[in-house]
Amino acid sequence: MRYLRLLRVFALTELQFALQYRTNLLLVLAEEVITVATSLLAVLVLFGRTSTINGWTLGQMTVLLGVYYLIQGAQAVVFEPSFERFMEHVRLGTLDFILIKPVNSQFMVSTRYVQVPQVAQALLGVAVLAAGLAQVGERVRLVEAAAFALTLVCGLVLVYSLLLVLSTLAFWFVRVDNLLAIFWSFLDAGRFPVDIYPGWLRLTLSSVVPIGIAVTLPAQAIAGRLDGVGLGLMLVATGAAWSFAAWFWRRGLVNYTGASA
Amino acid sequence: MARALCAPTHSRGQPRHHGVPRGTWASRAVIRIARVLFAAQIAAAAQYRIQSILWLLFAIVRPVVFLAAWSAAASAQGGSIGGFALGDFAAYYVCLTLVIQLTTAWDAYDFELEVRTGTLAPKLLRPLHPLWYAATSNLVYKLFTVPALLPVLVFIAWSFGATFQTQPYHLALFVPSVALAAALRFMFGWVLAACAFWTTRINAIMHFYDRLTFLLAGQIAPLSLLPGPLATLSAVLPFGAMLATPAEILRGGTTLEQALELMAIQAMWLAVSWLGFVIVWRIGLRHFSAVGA
Repeated sequence: MRYLRLLRVFALTELQFALQYRTNLLLVLAEEVITVATSLLAVLVLFGRTSTINGWTLGQMTVLLGVYYLIQGAQAVVFEPSFERFMEHVRLGTLDFILIKPVNSQFMVSTRYVQVPQVAQALLGVAVLAAGLAQVGERVRLVEAAAFALTLVCGLVLVYSLLLVLSTLAFWFVRVDNLLAIFWSFLDAGRFPVDIYPGWLRLTLSSVVPIGIAVTLPAQAIAGRLDGVGLGLMLVATGAAWSFAAWFWRRGLVNYTGASA
Repeated sequence: MARALCAPTHSRGQPRHHGVPRGTWASRAVIRIARVLFAAQIAAAAQYRIQSILWLLFAIVRPVVFLAAWSAAASAQGGSIGGFALGDFAAYYVCLTLVIQLTTAWDAYDFELEVRTGTLAPKLLRPLHPLWYAATSNLVYKLFTVPALLPVLVFIAWSFGATFQTQPYHLALFVPSVALAAALRFMFGWVLAACAFWTTRINAIMHFYDRLTFLLAGQIAPLSLLPGPLATLSAVLPFGAMLATPAEILRGGTTLEQALELMAIQAMWLAVSWLGFVIVWRIGLRHFSAVGA
């Protein structure tokens, strides 16, 4: 409860920051609309030449693109700005000020900063998702909706765990923004279902950089293409990734020496 | 990205060549300047070796993503789409990856920062135009990264079963064509960069430009597969000349006449962008007021 209240405070503070620069806010919003629109066009170009891709129809693919922007937007709202600042704190030694606060340090580091305009990206994702669902046409049953919600949360946790692990490396190497570039570069591959990729890339996108399964599984779930085994594996993998990331974080924290110490 | 932090050491005075005919002196000076520029940029780039290699991932992932998508689409359509068989798609996207890396230009982003923070001012005092520092750093970055890219390309070509139809004349034409494309992207980047003189922040402009490159330069599909309106747009805009033209030539997807025609279009756009840059730079520079000046 206390943590939810904190999240609210963080979001409101950052909203006030964002509203100071209104032109910039509008420009960022325009950029996001352009990004999503052009990605949608790319899918339409592809489906102008074929009716299915590896069993995925245009509607299902649109759903998948919606999930992609939903996840990307969600992580860009909170995790991206927060981890960026965290690495800056480690470099400058100012992390001390966060560690002495009476809050769980992992929570504080992961959620403190919010990029308000990126909320629009997540919302655009929802809009694309809805458009895709309308095109698929079938009514979504309760089971599928539940599986969708569950896998979506799992997907976000997977992405979060990866970002946390990569950021935690800052305790040892200080400059790790380059390692985050690995995540950014593979993010592009999330726009298509992971099953179209050749083995080596599919493996990468399901394990080291799990953006592939994070996007594909929710889309499969809502299209009724996900079986119990897949769902179970996703839950287990998510639990494992979360525990590992949290353990790794504590491990890294022990290594932190601060600026003046 | 590796930035030119250290100023080249002009003044490490070699004796002036008095009495030598003027032409020889000028060409010697050019060689000397080029040598110093390159030495400085190589030293700067050498600090960022790992970073350069990681940045390669950005150039590689996107073409592979669309290659996989088109391969899946072609398989669903019985092995070929619009004259592109599976192996042709692979060859096209392998060539495109190489072209993307060989033609990449990022100056506008750096330039915006220099205008905003005023660090452009001391650069303007130097005897050489900032363009030359940027061009050298651009070339050096490519010299460093392309050797690392080649084995990856071989692997992708093998894993997707690429079939090249490249003739010797394609290879011969690819070299000038990719050079034209690189110059074109570089100059276009500078035209957009010079917009920072008026707007200070050019992120939104650059984003729009990047997304047009995404749609119309041959990244989401070989240009001949674009549907009506997009195909028209890509024919009248310069984006195809930036990536698709050299990629198609390298994979052997054009006849000799087509290749020459496409390269003429490239040269035309390069001339236009050069002219545009000269004009925009002249007018824009008057708008520039350095911070703290």
